[in-house]
Amino acid sequence: MQLSTTLDVDKQNSVARVALVGALNTDTAPGFEKRLFEVLEGGHQLTVLDMKDLDYISSAGLRVIFKAAKQAKASGRRIAAANRKPHIDKVFEILKALPDMAVFANEQELDDYLDAMQRRSRGEES
Amino acid sequence: MAVHGEHRELVIIAANSQAASGGGSLTTRLIVILTLCAAVIIGLGVLVDYRLSRDDILERLQQESRETVRAVVIDIENWLDGVESSTLLLARVLEQRHYSEEGLVQMLRDAIEVNADIYGATIAVVPSQPGVERGFAPYFFRDDGALDYADLADPRYNYQRQAWFLDAVSAGEPLWVEPYFDDGGGRVLMTTYAVPVFRRDAGGERFLYAVVTADVPLAELHDYLQRLRLGDSGFGILLSRSGTVLSDRNSANIMRNFQDTLIQEQDQQSWQEMFEAALQGQVVARQLTCTGVPGRCVIRLGALESTGWPVGVVYSEDEMLAPLREFALKTALAGTLTLLLMAIAVAIVTRRLTRPLTELALASDRIAQGDLDAPLPAASGNDEVARLVHSFAGMKQDLKAYIEDLEVATARRSRLEGELGAARDIQMGMLPQGGEASERDEAFSLWARVLPARSVGGDLYSYFLRGRQLFFAVGDVSDKGIPAALFMARAISLIQQLAATATDPGEAMAALNDPLTSNNDNCMFLTVFLGILDLDRLELRFASAGHTAPSLVRGAEVMSLEQETGPALGLSPDLSFPVNVIQLQPGDRLAVYTDGFDEAFNEREEMFGVDRFNAALLAGRGLPVAAAGSDLFTRLAAHVGNSPQSDDITLLLLDIGDRDSGASQSAREFTRGPQLTGRVEAWLRQELGQHPVPEQTLGELILVAEEIVSNVDKYAGLAADATITVMAIAERGEVGIEVRDCGLAFNPLDQSGLTELGAATKNAVIGGLGLHLITALTDRQNYRRENGCNILRVTKLLEQPRE
Repeated sequence: MQLSTTLDVDKQNSVARVALVGALNTDTAPGFEKRLFEVLEGGHQLTVLDMKDLDYISSAGLRVIFKAAKQAKASGRRIAAANRKPHIDKVFEILKALPDMAVFANEQELDDYLDAMQRRSRGEES
Repeated sequence: MAVHGEHRELVIIAANSQAASGGGSLTTRLIVILTLCAAVIIGLGVLVDYRLSRDDILERLQQESRETVRAVVIDIENWLDGVESSTLLLARVLEQRHYSEEGLVQMLRDAIEVNADIYGATIAVVPSQPGVERGFAPYFFRDDGALDYADLADPRYNYQRQAWFLDAVSAGEPLWVEPYFDDGGGRVLMTTYAVPVFRRDAGGERFLYAVVTADVPLAELHDYLQRLRLGDSGFGILLSRSGTVLSDRNSANIMRNFQDTLIQEQDQQSWQEMFEAALQGQVVARQLTCTGVPGRCVIRLGALESTGWPVGVVYSEDEMLAPLREFALKTALAGTLTLLLMAIAVAIVTRRLTRPLTELALASDRIAQGDLDAPLPAASGNDEVARLVHSFAGMKQDLKAYIEDLEVATARRSRLEGELGAARDIQMGMLPQGGEASERDEAFSLWARVLPARSVGGDLYSYFLRGRQLFFAVGDVSDKGIPAALFMARAISLIQQLAATATDPGEAMAALNDPLTSNNDNCMFLTVFLGILDLDRLELRFASAGHTAPSLVRGAEVMSLEQETGPALGLSPDLSFPVNVIQLQPGDRLAVYTDGFDEAFNEREEMFGVDRFNAALLAGRGLPVAAAGSDLFTRLAAHVGNSPQSDDITLLLLDIGDRDSGASQSAREFTRGPQLTGRVEAWLRQELGQHPVPEQTLGELILVAEEIVSNVDKYAGLAADATITVMAIAERGEVGIEVRDCGLAFNPLDQSGLTELGAATKNAVIGGLGLHLITALTDRQNYRRENGCNILRVTKLLEQPRE
């Protein structure tokens, strides 16, 4: 199985949304790692990994997300996961992966989070 | 973390050095105690010395002050004596001889000129005599070095009314008159020595002829007294017999009565008493308050011998004792200095003496931390410290030797363990499928496992399918460990030879017994269950050589089979063994086991027992045969708890008929290279997709397969064109995969290498996650190393209601 990704950047909120479609496994992980780190170079405050259409993830794929989260955290930015399917969720659970990573169960939660962020930044400006 | 560790190390070092030189150390205690002792001793010495010297100094000071006073008093006495004797001489001359007026004047003038002690003098002739009715009194006195003359017979002066004249006349003998101001005469404050001169007339009658006087100015007396100095504020005083002050520190007091000069009324009485005592010729001393004299003021009062005038000194005792205080200060200073030097000496000597001890303590700390090469301090001589260092060095040497011995022994043991591990691999390799076997046919399903009590053991199982005949055996060699293992090796090879040809279990048993009996001087023996199952008729014929009876599960019932058994093998030749025959039915499950199972004890010394075994067997009847076998071992482990396994344990389960219908397994080799995991995944999906496996279970199994295969691919050290064999297994109630690689030996189920999970992103270790997934997503994992290959088998149970 292959993996394809699409990138959607919301400059106003400094949010990058990477949608994953297919399988993130040993074969596809190296390519995804390259892609994800390119996105991180963009310096967005928040990078959301949209897993709505991700069917499969292995430890090789998790490793990439781990690595990215670590790097993002070190530079004060964040990586969040959204729309994890139950069996993807189970893999995260087993590995107790990224306990401090923001997770959004669906679009609504993500939108709420973005709204809250926006309000906060506006509040800080005034 | 690194910073943390470093910091802690620093703290430890600081604590160590504090322990070495800090408050509680022997060195410090010695220094403090010795210095305190020295302080006490030096203090006592200084005190005694001071006490002794103090009396001497006091004595000397008193002597000095007495000498000073005496010198001044003697000077005054000499002076006044001179004045008195000159005057008396003049009077004597006038008694004897008669002079004209000019002669008297001349003599008087001569007398004064030669006698520098006399300020002024007169010869006052009594006027009642013939020729001198109007009086005659020439007076010479010194004035700025020159000699002046005054006529005291001048009516303005009228010497006959002066006190000095009248006193002398009325006294009729020489006397010192009270001080007065000689207005018209010497014109200074003075006192006068007046001597009446008597003559005898023709009739021999004694009559007063004249009064001869000599004057002493008070200023000169005062000068004498001022030479009397005791300390900075001490001074002399001189009083007349009537109490008039002749000399005092304060010149304004001169000519006043001493009582009027006193300020303190309460002192008047004391002064009066002293004054009177002095007039009596006594020397008195009192301590009174004095103005202008600091500290304790002392007054000593005596009297001049010649005039009887009270003379004295007023001084500050504190000032007098100033040298004593200075001495005390010097003594204290010397004492302190001595103590300081002493303390330094004590510190140096103590440190030098205890330095080996301090170094020894530091060295022992290092030795305790494992640095056996830490140098010990050099110790010379044969004192206690040197002996300690020597014995410490001996201890260090012994410790080193001991540790080296231990290392050798440990290395030997680990080599032995390595050999035993290899022996175990070899022994397990003798058993079908290496100690845990699984075999299927449409007519039967067999599962067997050996669990040795030690690295190697004496239990065995074997099976062999020949046409429609299933030959299977379970055996248990007496004893355990290496001897049993070697005997077992003989037995298993004989059994495997027999399996190919045996048709009758009794004969096979007899054929097995004879070779085992020969050359068995150790009398090792073996119990064996040996069965031959006809898969078509399901007739089981078996012989038992002293082996535990097998158990049979049929429907909801379980029973131990009745059996006729023969003796154990290996003890005597030419035996025969009865054959038992039992008709089995499809759905039956037969359990053959060794006594290690039912005779396993728990911590309360309770045996697992046949009843418990049968109950456990029945409880697992709904499970597939392999799961049921594992379940029995699990139940046994739960019973035994922490008790060590005392005997080898073997279990063989045989399911009859179509219990495992639908079971299938297929294997495929995958060559390393691109898309390895993708190829494995595709194949597994295809193989397992034929079976009723839920999509999620399949997905998880595929994930596990990827983890295993990619792990092998990365770490097994395989050649680029090597292959990895994957087997897909689907049985009733469970699916599994087996991955086989002939790379580096690695047991992924060894938990010690697992990455810790759940750390925050910042500290999380990236990698090593696959192994967690393998164990978490499957129900059973089994690893073995066989013929230089790693074989990892994982199984997932399918959701299935139990009966």
